[in-house]
Amino acid sequence: MASLKTFIIARALALIPTILILITLVFFIMRVLPGDPVVAIVGMKAPPERVIELKKELGLMDEAGNPIPLPIQYLNYLSKLVSGDLGRSLIWGKRPVLVEIMEHLPATIELAIAGFIVSIILGLVLGSLGGWMGGKMSSAVKTYGAITYALFIPWIGMLFQLFFAVWLGVLPVAGRIDTGLEPPTITGLYLIDSMIAGKWDSFLSALRHITLPALTLGLVISGVFTRVTRTSVEEVMRQDFVVAARARGIPEHKILLHVLKNSFVPILTMMGLQLALLMTGAVLTETTFSWPGMGTFLLERIQYRDYTTVQGTVVFFAIIVSLVNLIVDICYAYIDPRIRY
Amino acid sequence: MMRKYAKKRLAVSTTVATVGIIVALIIGLVGGYLAGSMAAAPATATVTVTQTVGAKTVTSTVEKTVTSTVPGGPAVSRIVIGVTDKVSDIDPANAYDFYTWEVLTNIMGGLMRYAPGTTELEPGLAIGYTVSPDGTEYTFRLRPNLYFADGTPMTAQDVVRSIKRVMEINGDPVWLVTDFVKDVVAVDDHTVKFILKKPVAFFPALVAIPPYFPVHPAYKPKEIDSDQTAGGVGPYRIVKWVRDVELVLEANPYWWQGAPKTKQIVIKFFKDATALRMALEAGEIDIAWRTLRPTDINDLKGKSGIKVIEVPGPYIRYIIFNTKIPPFDNPLVRKALAAAVDRKAICERVFLGTTTPLYSMIPIGMWSHKDSFLEKYGEHNLELAKKLLKEAGYSETNKLKIELWYTPTHYGDTEVDVATLIKEAWEETGMVEVTLKSAEWTTYLEYTRKGMLGATLYGWYPDYIDPDDYTSPWVNTTWTGYAYSNPELKKLLDEASVKPILEERTKLYERAQDIWADDAAVVPLFQGKLAVAVREGVEGVILDPTMLFRYWLIYKVS
Repeated sequence: MASLKTFIIARALALIPTILILITLVFFIMRVLPGDPVVAIVGMKAPPERVIELKKELGLMDEAGNPIPLPIQYLNYLSKLVSGDLGRSLIWGKRPVLVEIMEHLPATIELAIAGFIVSIILGLVLGSLGGWMGGKMSSAVKTYGAITYALFIPWIGMLFQLFFAVWLGVLPVAGRIDTGLEPPTITGLYLIDSMIAGKWDSFLSALRHITLPALTLGLVISGVFTRVTRTSVEEVMRQDFVVAARARGIPEHKILLHVLKNSFVPILTMMGLQLALLMTGAVLTETTFSWPGMGTFLLERIQYRDYTTVQGTVVFFAIIVSLVNLIVDICYAYIDPRIRY
Repeated sequence: MMRKYAKKRLAVSTTVATVGIIVALIIGLVGGYLAGSMAAAPATATVTVTQTVGAKTVTSTVEKTVTSTVPGGPAVSRIVIGVTDKVSDIDPANAYDFYTWEVLTNIMGGLMRYAPGTTELEPGLAIGYTVSPDGTEYTFRLRPNLYFADGTPMTAQDVVRSIKRVMEINGDPVWLVTDFVKDVVAVDDHTVKFILKKPVAFFPALVAIPPYFPVHPAYKPKEIDSDQTAGGVGPYRIVKWVRDVELVLEANPYWWQGAPKTKQIVIKFFKDATALRMALEAGEIDIAWRTLRPTDINDLKGKSGIKVIEVPGPYIRYIIFNTKIPPFDNPLVRKALAAAVDRKAICERVFLGTTTPLYSMIPIGMWSHKDSFLEKYGEHNLELAKKLLKEAGYSETNKLKIELWYTPTHYGDTEVDVATLIKEAWEETGMVEVTLKSAEWTTYLEYTRKGMLGATLYGWYPDYIDPDDYTSPWVNTTWTGYAYSNPELKKLLDEASVKPILEERTKLYERAQDIWADDAAVVPLFQGKLAVAVREGVEGVILDPTMLFRYWLIYKVS
């Protein structure tokens, strides 16, 4: 059996074709979409010279004004990408895409982590309860999973805003922090930065602002975890070792611990896979709560047809998701030594 | 071995699943697209605008007063405004959208400006101007002692530098300068002369818009400075700017009218109109500005502690008929359709009264506006429509079959309802069969430009507040792909654009509107209203068709 090291190398190498396929897909999907992005950017009143100028900027036309064939455009794009150049935005200052991503990423990471924590707590507690107790509890947890999974984020988000902000007035409707309370940037995560800086008013403000979005996102994603945890716990419960443990009179809480450990592999896989959902969920959550992260950023740039930014961001996301999957696979192999190539 | 194989398959399927999820993510995203009070300075000033008109050098002197003054008395020091709009480039050389222009108007100023609540011009940084006898030279005299927000003095050279910068950068709104201005020179520190390519009667209106605003020397001379916060000579200065999150403005103590009453204006950027409304109700913001949904505006009208202020806006909507494509090449068909359309139904049913029916391309509230379409065709006049259709050879059995195009991605979620109501009104004649067709904005624009669409729905935000901007762009131009040409109308509009006397221009535009209605090639539908919802205690909100919210006039009484 190959060592863990070999496994990691093999999995890492397998990432290359995955990412290449993704980049290729993104590149071509962006180009087969109907509508001329140049027209979308310059608007209906722009003179033709401006259109040509922008086409050159976009790499759609060479200096002589001749259109560049798609395969050449693709190769040009790849060669830049290899050197870590995601291109420059087409609007508002034409800043490097990577810089723009780095500015918006911390907000999303903060929201994603908070949402993730909420979902895991809800998912694990309810799922284990359903799997352990069975019967009516199991059905109730099943129903919870189905309902939360089907919840539409803007709708549930709006209800939370209405209830907690407008009616009760205890939490803010939107935003990330109150004006003037931003902590000094260290990690970009306001909760952590404010703690490091010891600015407790900032910490409190950031916490109040993140509560509703995290709750919304966490609630929706918790459905999946509940389902997986419940099924997995139920499955493990049927295994011989549980019967044997009970026969030996081992206390139930100790048995539960073993059951949970043994049910963890599918849950871990699901955590990795949820990252993609977390990102899509973040788009809707961020829009609902005016959270200044990657989701709103990407959505907005799609609307403005900021070609290079959208492309760069999606590629960036793709790489992140692939890397997380790799990490999950490694954890997987670590937890269960039988998993090897 | 089996397990190894199974794991291999699992790894492959994980890869496939990853690719699948990311592709779904891409498709989903792309597809889903589709506040210490400052003493107010008594700044009322009477100035003289001297116009030298005609070859005889007849000098007409017009007394103009700066009507708007900074409000006095104590006020709460901070006002928070919420918007769903975006700031594009804080640089007049490239900004070309209404919201950014609003921000620029509050941190900068032009030689002339619009008197709040009107579409009339009043002196801004200039105290007056003279026009050369041939109408091609405008000489502006600047106010003495003008300073940028950091205390740097501003002179005529700054005006020249700023205008030339706009020309050099060649950004989106550059045509607003280069189409008219040949050269600009500083005669002395307080006098600036514009040499125009041709006589332009509405030139004073042009110097009131951002591309003509003098900017601080900190602006990069040859490139777009998107996030530059140095501003110009305006009531406020930017103290904090976080794109898409917030913009914090502070009263400029060096402003020629004295620092505004409200010391700090915070603009919060919302992604969602519902959240904007709730933030107002929760008291997180004092003012909910652009753009609340029609249903939210109506709801807020009934709430205690909240005031809703509405005025007609400069935004208009209209139908373009391609006069080259049959059956729209037949004037009888176009007239029949213009007569049958039900504007009131659209305004009431789709926009819940937040828009107003429009019977001319020149909007309500602007000088020379005339309800030509109403006079000529009436409103939802089915009898006239049927009569005209009969004349054109159509009947209940031989129906006029047409396509009406709209775009769901540029004019909002309500667009499909607008198109549906137009279809209903036309089909009510019993002699028309309409197929609704839609295309994503860029495709829509592309098809229109290529002259492929017969009847299309479009909208217009003005570039400058003058009837010229509501008329000339459609006549003998090709951007809409339909080549609507009427030599008589073109001549009238050209004449109106150079005549210096307002009364003469008014007469010309009135005639032009009648001819326009007669041709029915571009049919006006409705005009937007501007609505702002404010919490009780907020005063000094003055809106007008320029669409510019003047932050320096607002204040809050606790």
